[in-house]
Amino acid sequence: MTQETAQPLIVTCDAGGTMTDILVVDAAGRFSVGKASTTPQDESLGFWESLEDALGGWGVKLDGAGALKPLEASIYTGTTMLNTLLQRRGKRVGLIITKGFEDSFVVERGFQAVAGYSYADRLHTVTHVHNSPLVPRHLVKGATERIDLFGNVVIPLYEHEVRDAVTELIKAGVETIAILFLFSYINPAHEQSAARIARQTAKRMGREIPVFISSEISPTIRELARLNSVVIQAYAAEPVRAQLFHIEDRLERAGARNPLQTVLAYGGLAPVRYPRLYESVVSGPVGGLLGARYLGEVTGLNNLITADMGGTSFDVGLVTEGKIPLVREPEFARFIFNLPMVTINSIGAGAGTYIRLDPMTRRIILGPESAGAEPGPVCYDHGNEIPTVVDCDLILGMVNPDYYLGGKIKLNKEKALRRFREEIADPLGLNVYDAAQGVVRLINSLMRDQIRSLVLAKGYSTMDYTLIAFGGAGPMHMAGFTEGLALKGLATVPYAAAFSAFGCATVDYSHRYQRSTHLFVPAGAGPDVKASVAEGLTRAWRELEQKALAEMTAEGFDRASINLQQAAFVRYGGQLDDVEVFSPTSRMNTPADVDALIARFEDLYSRIYVSGARFPEAGFQILEVAAVATVPKVKPLIERRPLGAPTPPARARKGVRKIYRDGRWHDAQIFEMGELGPGNVIDGPAVIEASNTTLLVPERRRARFDEWGLIWVE
Amino acid sequence: METYPTKEVLKDLIEGRLDWPRIKQIMSSPKDSDRFMKYLALAQERVKWTEQILLPLGEHLYIVAKNGERVVKCDCGQEFGDWRGNWKLRALIYSRDTREKLEGIYPGARCPDPQWCEVREFYCPGCGTQLEVESVPPGYPITFDFLPDLDAFHEQWLERPLPDRIEAQDRSGEVIRRWVGDLKREKRVGTKHNGKATGSRKSR
Repeated sequence: MTQETAQPLIVTCDAGGTMTDILVVDAAGRFSVGKASTTPQDESLGFWESLEDALGGWGVKLDGAGALKPLEASIYTGTTMLNTLLQRRGKRVGLIITKGFEDSFVVERGFQAVAGYSYADRLHTVTHVHNSPLVPRHLVKGATERIDLFGNVVIPLYEHEVRDAVTELIKAGVETIAILFLFSYINPAHEQSAARIARQTAKRMGREIPVFISSEISPTIRELARLNSVVIQAYAAEPVRAQLFHIEDRLERAGARNPLQTVLAYGGLAPVRYPRLYESVVSGPVGGLLGARYLGEVTGLNNLITADMGGTSFDVGLVTEGKIPLVREPEFARFIFNLPMVTINSIGAGAGTYIRLDPMTRRIILGPESAGAEPGPVCYDHGNEIPTVVDCDLILGMVNPDYYLGGKIKLNKEKALRRFREEIADPLGLNVYDAAQGVVRLINSLMRDQIRSLVLAKGYSTMDYTLIAFGGAGPMHMAGFTEGLALKGLATVPYAAAFSAFGCATVDYSHRYQRSTHLFVPAGAGPDVKASVAEGLTRAWRELEQKALAEMTAEGFDRASINLQQAAFVRYGGQLDDVEVFSPTSRMNTPADVDALIARFEDLYSRIYVSGARFPEAGFQILEVAAVATVPKVKPLIERRPLGAPTPPARARKGVRKIYRDGRWHDAQIFEMGELGPGNVIDGPAVIEASNTTLLVPERRRARFDEWGLIWVE
Repeated sequence: METYPTKEVLKDLIEGRLDWPRIKQIMSSPKDSDRFMKYLALAQERVKWTEQILLPLGEHLYIVAKNGERVVKCDCGQEFGDWRGNWKLRALIYSRDTREKLEGIYPGARCPDPQWCEVREFYCPGCGTQLEVESVPPGYPITFDFLPDLDAFHEQWLERPLPDRIEAQDRSGEVIRRWVGDLKREKRVGTKHNGKATGSRKSR
């Protein structure tokens, strides 16, 4: 690697619960990874430290003002919004809502009482609990008004009630006001008037107070999700923006020319000035899936399973035919949102997961909590006494105690062994190695079930999919958690530990705009019905596109560079799930255009399910439409490199270590990952070590380094 | 973080001083094998009397060992007799059996039909604490919520057998017969009973 010429092109940051990972990419597709502890009080500190670490790998110093001049894009994802919500330390919000609905935060929906719970807790009703409201009851004011489900005004807005409410709220010291009225996604007139009155009233009182209305933030059906969206924008997203500005400022001072971007839940990028910043609330785990899709596009793999095993969780996602399915009503921090989000299934199984014995049944209990970075697993020797999965990996010889995080942390194997024996092996009457192997098998099978259920529940077959494993612990466990799964292929990458950050670097500038509609095409509908549906679709799209173009041009993009796509969420009449269908035409001009859209829906539906499941007799409903505006961005280059000889170079060999598998010790060859290149083949049993991850190649299997930088375990 | 709640944490739990995330965490984690003994020791510390608690029966009642007998006792010290005779028969009873009384807790349209439903509240004669509430059809016998097999519990579950054995057999009938006997005797000597279907009775 010629370090002198490396110049940062893209910087991406994934500030997780414990570590802030930064990936810097240069024009030739070279990566440098930086790591630092996350600094929740002011995430810019961790960001900067991690960035210095990453650039240090290239010998680039940040103190010079021009260090970041070559930078094309900087992307940030973090957990500040999550923490703001969890710790309830957001802004003081006042809420004005349709009279009679003031208790919406208390009543919630039944689902929110178990949101985020493990399966066991869902079954134990004693654990079910409602969220503590983000807006205390005395800061919620009702205003008389009513718009019906067709958008007709049934009761006009009682403007004096809004004025009184705003006056009282401001006197009570609110910092911001959110407004939600029923059916505002069909007709926002009342919300808009109320916002105007609120601003006027505040001005008259000599105050400037930000006002958010639900029809602007999330014009979608179902008021609880809409309420969460608008309140969380006011409560948590605005304080986060302040921190992001701080990071952007520092980047600018170091020479960066472009605004800081953040990743949105559906896999788009938006600048930190984006008005609906709450859409970035779940951005961390999204990166891995986007990275896999990009990797697949470049290397020609279009059906992928992503398996991200980190310290605390195991996240599985699917890319089918190059597309990532979206969930419409995701749950986050125990709130449900009406926000499209890439589909990721997550369980509490990671390298740091605690291992305990149920004292009554002697059954091994894994997690659901984990040790995090502090105090970390037992082998860190930082005060934790409860064994974790990493401790088992260490006991079994898989992990090198002197090369953890490149040797930054020395692992105490003696202690891990002793505590695991005392807590688990002895009470079970097992020898310590068999017990540790049993635990690893158990966690692997939990993860395997998670993969299997995600793929099979969709009616797909694992045989059509290539699994990409990443996350710090992914390469260590990938052979284990895929055992018995019939896969098309199994691969990882050398930068597995920073793959999520890599994924964020592959995203385009893209925003989604959605709104609810009430459109129905009955079976056998005549041309006049279709014409009116066509008109409804075109009108909705035009409205969304106007908003999209206005926002994207305001962000500095040239109108000509913006690519617009139109989508409709179509379902058979009476069904509960719909399918996102991208329209073959940008406008619906004739009934035939509607037919074409429906034909595309039926085609997609039969591919997702089976053609026999189609049900056109019930007619077709379109309850939501979307417009996606995209501007391409520079992406990390994945270069095809010539294949070398299968035999690994001698300098990659680090000797032999004993590893315990299948009830006996094996002599495993140890390799340094950084010294291996395209074409190299490593036969198992072997352990390939890198500073931030370890790849296990079991006996009777081999690892093959291909021309794209993928490592296949075969 | 400790693996299992310590005795101090359990004390905070009982006294309502823990925040919800901690309570939820305790509920969702496996129990340590001596949790019950810790809990029993805490209960013993919290009461003013000295009889050994064999089993807590709720927030205020305990089954305790007393002079070779096992009796139900309130934390105020009031006793309710042998644990095999329903303790409710020795409590003060307030029966909500008319619409007017039921409206006190279920106003308006929420009020159940008193011909179908009666709500009985049981109070401690010693301290007036509400100990239990039951909702039954009118005339239904007073329910006996729980007759634990103390010997089996201490021997097979706690693995600490009690020094003596007393078979867990429902003795509520005897308590009721004594009630009836008392009533008859009262009638014979000519004392007029006040005729209340439900009222206070103390039998010692």
